[in-house]
Amino acid sequence: MDTASLLVFISLGVLTLVPALFVVNSRSIVHAGFWLLPCFLGVAGLYAALEAHFFFVTQLLIYAGAILVLVLFALMLTRNAMNPTESQSNRLKPVAALVCTAFAAGSTFILVKHPWAITTDTPKPAGVQTEALGNALIQNYAVPFEVASLLLLAALIGAIVLAKSDRGPVPEPAPLADLTSGTAGGE
Amino acid sequence: MVPTSYYMILSGILFTIGVLGVLVKRNPIVIFMCIELMLNAANIAFVALGRHFAQVNGQMYVIFALAVAAAEVSVGLGIIVSIFRTRESINVDEMNLMKF
Repeated sequence: MDTASLLVFISLGVLTLVPALFVVNSRSIVHAGFWLLPCFLGVAGLYAALEAHFFFVTQLLIYAGAILVLVLFALMLTRNAMNPTESQSNRLKPVAALVCTAFAAGSTFILVKHPWAITTDTPKPAGVQTEALGNALIQNYAVPFEVASLLLLAALIGAIVLAKSDRGPVPEPAPLADLTSGTAGGE
Repeated sequence: MVPTSYYMILSGILFTIGVLGVLVKRNPIVIFMCIELMLNAANIAFVALGRHFAQVNGQMYVIFALAVAAAEVSVGLGIIVSIFRTRESINVDEMNLMKF
Protein backbone atom coordinates (compact mmCIF):
# COMPACT_ATOMS: atom_id res chain seq x y z
CA MET A 1 0.00 0.00 0.00
CA ASP A 2 1.69 3.21 -1.13
CA THR A 3 1.08 6.64 0.33
CA ALA A 4 -0.36 8.18 -2.84
CA SER A 5 -3.25 5.74 -3.16
CA LEU A 6 -3.97 6.03 0.56
CA LEU A 7 -4.10 9.83 0.25
CA VAL A 8 -6.47 9.53 -2.72
CA PHE A 9 -8.67 7.14 -0.73
CA ILE A 10 -8.79 9.44 2.31
CA SER A 11 -9.64 12.52 0.26
CA LEU A 12 -12.36 10.64 -1.64
CA GLY A 13 -13.72 9.30 1.64
CA VAL A 14 -13.91 12.81 3.09
CA LEU A 15 -15.56 14.03 -0.14
CA THR A 16 -18.18 11.29 0.30
CA LEU A 17 -18.86 11.28 4.04
CA VAL A 18 -18.84 15.00 4.91
CA PRO A 19 -21.51 15.95 2.30
CA ALA A 20 -23.53 12.91 3.42
CA LEU A 21 -23.54 14.32 6.97
CA PHE A 22 -24.66 17.69 5.59
CA VAL A 23 -27.51 15.97 3.70
CA VAL A 24 -28.77 14.54 6.98
CA ASN A 25 -28.20 17.67 9.05
CA SER A 26 -29.08 20.60 6.80
CA ARG A 27 -32.25 22.48 7.65
CA SER A 28 -33.07 23.51 4.08
CA ILE A 29 -34.13 20.62 1.89
CA VAL A 30 -32.82 22.36 -1.26
CA HIS A 31 -29.37 22.56 0.35
CA ALA A 32 -29.66 18.87 1.25
CA GLY A 33 -30.39 18.09 -2.40
CA PHE A 34 -27.38 20.03 -3.60
CA TRP A 35 -25.12 18.41 -0.98
CA LEU A 36 -25.91 15.07 -2.61
CA LEU A 37 -23.84 16.07 -5.66
CA PRO A 38 -20.37 16.05 -4.01
CA CYS A 39 -21.33 12.84 -2.21
CA PHE A 40 -22.17 11.09 -5.50
CA LEU A 41 -19.01 12.49 -7.10
CA GLY A 42 -16.98 11.07 -4.20
CA VAL A 43 -18.57 7.65 -4.72
CA ALA A 44 -17.76 7.89 -8.44
CA GLY A 45 -14.14 8.64 -7.51
CA LEU A 46 -14.11 5.59 -5.22
CA TYR A 47 -15.26 3.43 -8.15
CA ALA A 48 -12.40 4.85 -10.22
CA ALA A 49 -9.98 4.07 -7.38
CA LEU A 50 -11.38 0.50 -7.33
CA GLU A 51 -10.68 0.28 -11.09
CA ALA A 52 -14.37 -0.19 -11.87
CA HIS A 53 -14.31 2.30 -14.72
CA PHE A 54 -17.71 1.31 -16.07
CA PHE A 55 -19.33 2.19 -12.75
CA PHE A 56 -17.42 5.46 -12.57
CA VAL A 57 -19.23 6.56 -15.75
CA THR A 58 -22.55 5.00 -14.68
CA GLN A 59 -22.44 6.75 -11.32
CA LEU A 60 -21.89 10.11 -13.01
CA LEU A 61 -24.68 9.52 -15.54
CA ILE A 62 -27.36 7.89 -13.37
CA TYR A 63 -26.79 9.26 -9.86
CA ALA A 64 -25.17 12.64 -10.40
CA GLY A 65 -27.22 13.16 -13.57
CA ALA A 66 -30.62 11.52 -13.58
CA ILE A 67 -31.48 10.79 -9.95
CA LEU A 68 -30.24 14.13 -8.62
CA VAL A 69 -32.26 16.03 -11.25
CA LEU A 70 -35.37 13.96 -10.38
CA VAL A 71 -34.96 14.73 -6.68
CA LEU A 72 -34.52 18.45 -7.37
CA PHE A 73 -37.63 18.40 -9.61
CA ALA A 74 -39.62 16.81 -6.78
CA LEU A 75 -38.33 19.51 -4.42
CA MET A 76 -39.50 22.23 -6.80
CA LEU A 77 -42.92 20.58 -7.31
CA THR A 78 -43.56 20.38 -3.56
CA ARG A 79 -42.48 23.89 -2.67
CA ASN A 80 -43.47 25.19 0.76
CA ALA A 81 -44.81 21.77 1.63
CA MET A 82 -43.29 22.01 5.09
CA ASN A 83 -42.92 24.91 7.47
CA PRO A 84 -39.22 25.86 7.21
CA THR A 85 -39.14 27.37 10.70
CA GLU A 86 -39.95 24.15 12.52
CA SER A 87 -37.38 21.42 12.92
CA GLN A 88 -36.81 19.04 10.01
CA SER A 89 -36.18 16.13 12.35
CA ASN A 90 -38.49 14.31 14.70
CA ARG A 91 -37.95 14.05 18.42
CA LEU A 92 -36.04 10.76 18.11
CA LYS A 93 -32.93 12.55 16.86
CA PRO A 94 -30.65 12.27 19.96
CA VAL A 95 -31.53 8.61 20.54
CA ALA A 96 -31.17 7.76 16.84
CA ALA A 97 -27.80 9.54 16.64
CA LEU A 98 -26.58 7.56 19.66
CA VAL A 99 -27.77 4.23 18.26
CA CYS A 100 -26.29 4.95 14.82
CA THR A 101 -22.93 5.96 16.30
CA ALA A 102 -22.87 2.73 18.27
CA PHE A 103 -23.78 0.74 15.13
CA ALA A 104 -21.04 2.44 13.08
CA ALA A 105 -18.46 1.85 15.80
CA GLY A 106 -19.48 -1.78 16.15
CA SER A 107 -19.40 -2.51 12.43
CA THR A 108 -16.03 -0.75 12.09
CA PHE A 109 -14.65 -2.86 14.95
CA ILE A 110 -15.91 -6.07 13.33
CA LEU A 111 -14.51 -5.11 9.91
CA VAL A 112 -11.11 -4.28 11.40
CA LYS A 113 -10.99 -7.54 13.35
CA HIS A 114 -12.19 -9.67 10.43
CA PRO A 115 -9.41 -11.89 9.01
CA TRP A 116 -9.55 -10.83 5.39
CA ALA A 117 -8.62 -13.75 3.18
CA ILE A 118 -5.56 -13.08 1.11
CA THR A 119 -6.58 -13.89 -2.44
CA THR A 120 -3.95 -15.23 -4.76
CA ASP A 121 -5.72 -13.91 -7.83
CA THR A 122 -4.48 -10.47 -8.72
CA PRO A 123 -7.24 -8.15 -9.97
CA LYS A 124 -7.53 -8.07 -13.71
CA PRO A 125 -6.78 -4.83 -15.57
CA ALA A 126 -9.78 -2.56 -15.94
CA GLY A 127 -10.39 -3.07 -19.65
CA VAL A 128 -10.50 -6.84 -19.23
CA GLN A 129 -12.84 -6.40 -16.26
CA THR A 130 -15.33 -4.36 -18.27
CA GLU A 131 -15.19 -6.89 -21.10
CA ALA A 132 -15.86 -9.75 -18.67
CA LEU A 133 -18.77 -7.79 -17.22
CA GLY A 134 -20.36 -7.31 -20.64
CA ASN A 135 -19.89 -10.96 -21.54
CA ALA A 136 -21.41 -12.15 -18.26
CA LEU A 137 -24.34 -9.77 -18.73
CA ILE A 138 -25.44 -11.39 -21.99
CA GLN A 139 -24.46 -14.96 -21.10
CA ASN A 140 -24.94 -16.03 -17.48
CA TYR A 141 -27.11 -13.07 -16.46
CA ALA A 142 -29.26 -12.71 -19.59
CA VAL A 143 -32.56 -13.53 -17.83
CA PRO A 144 -32.07 -11.12 -14.89
CA PHE A 145 -31.04 -8.50 -17.44
CA GLU A 146 -34.35 -8.89 -19.28
CA VAL A 147 -36.27 -8.86 -16.00
CA ALA A 148 -34.51 -5.60 -15.09
CA SER A 149 -35.61 -4.06 -18.38
CA LEU A 150 -39.19 -5.16 -17.65
CA LEU A 151 -38.92 -3.59 -14.19
CA LEU A 152 -37.76 -0.30 -15.69
CA LEU A 153 -40.68 -0.35 -18.16
CA ALA A 154 -43.14 -0.99 -15.32
CA ALA A 155 -41.61 1.86 -13.31
CA LEU A 156 -41.90 4.17 -16.32
CA ILE A 157 -45.60 3.41 -16.78
CA GLY A 158 -46.22 3.53 -13.02
CA ALA A 159 -44.59 6.94 -12.66
CA ILE A 160 -46.72 8.35 -15.50
CA VAL A 161 -49.94 6.94 -14.02
CA LEU A 162 -49.10 8.24 -10.54
CA ALA A 163 -48.10 11.72 -11.62
CA LYS A 164 -50.98 12.17 -14.06
CA SER A 165 -53.64 14.47 -12.65
CA ASP A 166 -57.05 12.79 -12.53
CA ARG A 167 -59.01 15.51 -10.80
CA GLY A 168 -61.58 16.55 -13.36
CA PRO A 169 -61.12 17.77 -16.89
CA VAL A 170 -58.24 19.95 -17.89
CA PRO A 171 -59.30 23.64 -17.79
CA GLU A 172 -59.95 25.04 -21.22
CA PRO A 173 -57.23 27.31 -22.59
CA ALA A 174 -57.92 31.00 -22.92
CA PRO A 175 -59.58 31.95 -26.21
CA LEU A 176 -57.24 32.99 -28.94
CA ALA A 177 -59.54 35.73 -30.25
CA ASP A 178 -56.95 38.46 -29.88
CA LEU A 179 -54.36 36.58 -31.87
CA THR A 180 -56.63 35.38 -34.68
CA SER A 181 -59.04 38.33 -34.98
CA GLY A 182 -57.20 39.70 -37.97
CA THR A 183 -57.66 36.63 -40.15
CA ALA A 184 -60.82 34.91 -38.88
CA GLY A 185 -63.22 37.78 -38.38
CA GLY A 186 -66.59 36.20 -39.23
CA GLU A 187 -67.06 33.83 -36.24
CA MET B 1 -3.52 -0.79 -3.37
CA VAL B 2 -5.77 0.27 -0.50
CA PRO B 3 -6.97 -2.78 1.51
CA THR B 4 -10.56 -3.91 1.04
CA SER B 5 -11.35 -3.42 4.72
CA TYR B 6 -10.91 0.37 4.36
CA TYR B 7 -13.54 0.45 1.64
CA MET B 8 -15.84 -1.73 3.75
CA ILE B 9 -15.46 0.60 6.77
CA LEU B 10 -16.23 3.65 4.60
CA SER B 11 -19.25 1.84 3.19
CA GLY B 12 -20.47 0.97 6.69
CA ILE B 13 -20.18 4.57 7.87
CA LEU B 14 -21.99 5.89 4.77
CA PHE B 15 -24.75 3.32 5.32
CA THR B 16 -25.12 4.39 8.96
CA ILE B 17 -25.47 8.03 7.94
CA GLY B 18 -28.25 6.98 5.59
CA VAL B 19 -29.98 4.98 8.33
CA LEU B 20 -29.79 8.00 10.66
CA GLY B 21 -31.45 10.19 8.04
CA VAL B 22 -34.24 7.68 7.39
CA LEU B 23 -34.90 7.43 11.14
CA VAL B 24 -35.06 11.11 11.98
CA LYS B 25 -36.12 13.17 8.94
CA ARG B 26 -39.71 14.30 8.48
CA ASN B 27 -39.64 15.20 4.79
CA PRO B 28 -40.05 12.11 2.56
CA ILE B 29 -37.83 13.61 -0.16
CA VAL B 30 -34.94 13.88 2.30
CA ILE B 31 -35.69 10.30 3.36
CA PHE B 32 -35.33 9.37 -0.31
CA MET B 33 -31.94 11.06 -0.46
CA CYS B 34 -30.86 9.04 2.57
CA ILE B 35 -32.05 5.82 0.92
CA GLU B 36 -29.86 6.77 -2.05
CA LEU B 37 -26.92 7.14 0.36
CA MET B 38 -27.58 3.63 1.69
CA LEU B 39 -27.78 2.18 -1.84
CA ASN B 40 -24.49 3.88 -2.73
CA ALA B 41 -22.87 2.41 0.38
CA ALA B 42 -24.02 -1.08 -0.61
CA ASN B 43 -22.70 -0.57 -4.15
CA ILE B 44 -19.27 0.45 -2.85
CA ALA B 45 -19.19 -2.71 -0.73
CA PHE B 46 -20.17 -4.86 -3.72
CA VAL B 47 -17.50 -3.38 -5.99
CA ALA B 48 -14.81 -3.58 -3.30
CA LEU B 49 -15.59 -7.23 -2.52
CA GLY B 50 -15.78 -8.05 -6.22
CA ARG B 51 -12.26 -6.70 -6.58
CA HIS B 52 -11.11 -8.52 -3.44
CA PHE B 53 -12.22 -11.92 -4.73
CA ALA B 54 -11.49 -11.09 -8.42
CA GLN B 55 -15.07 -12.04 -9.34
CA VAL B 56 -17.39 -10.41 -11.83
CA ASN B 57 -20.48 -11.15 -9.68
CA GLY B 58 -19.96 -8.17 -7.37
CA GLN B 59 -20.14 -5.68 -10.22
CA MET B 60 -23.11 -7.55 -11.67
CA TYR B 61 -25.13 -6.95 -8.50
CA VAL B 62 -24.31 -3.25 -8.76
CA ILE B 63 -25.86 -3.10 -12.24
CA PHE B 64 -29.14 -4.54 -10.93
CA ALA B 65 -29.03 -2.33 -7.83
CA LEU B 66 -28.71 0.68 -10.15
CA ALA B 67 -31.75 -0.44 -12.18
CA VAL B 68 -33.82 -0.96 -9.02
CA ALA B 69 -32.69 2.41 -7.62
CA ALA B 70 -33.75 4.22 -10.80
CA ALA B 71 -37.16 2.53 -10.77
CA GLU B 72 -37.61 3.22 -7.05
CA VAL B 73 -36.79 6.90 -7.38
CA SER B 74 -39.15 7.52 -10.30
CA VAL B 75 -42.12 5.73 -8.71
CA GLY B 76 -41.44 7.03 -5.21
CA LEU B 77 -41.17 10.65 -6.24
CA GLY B 78 -44.37 10.23 -8.30
CA ILE B 79 -46.14 8.98 -5.17
CA ILE B 80 -44.81 11.90 -3.10
CA VAL B 81 -45.92 14.48 -5.68
CA SER B 82 -49.40 12.98 -5.87
CA ILE B 83 -49.68 12.87 -2.06
CA PHE B 84 -48.69 16.54 -1.99
CA ARG B 85 -51.43 17.26 -4.55
CA THR B 86 -54.17 15.68 -2.46
CA ARG B 87 -53.01 16.53 1.10
CA GLU B 88 -51.10 19.81 0.57
CA SER B 89 -48.53 18.42 3.00
CA ILE B 90 -45.83 15.76 2.78
CA ASN B 91 -44.88 15.57 6.43
CA VAL B 92 -44.48 11.87 7.18
CA ASP B 93 -45.85 12.40 10.72
CA GLU B 94 -49.19 13.50 9.23
CA MET B 95 -49.55 10.59 6.81
CA ASN B 96 -51.88 8.32 8.77
CA LEU B 97 -54.53 7.46 6.18
CA MET B 98 -53.48 3.83 5.90
CA LYS B 99 -52.64 3.38 9.58
CA PHE B 100 -54.74 0.72 11.29
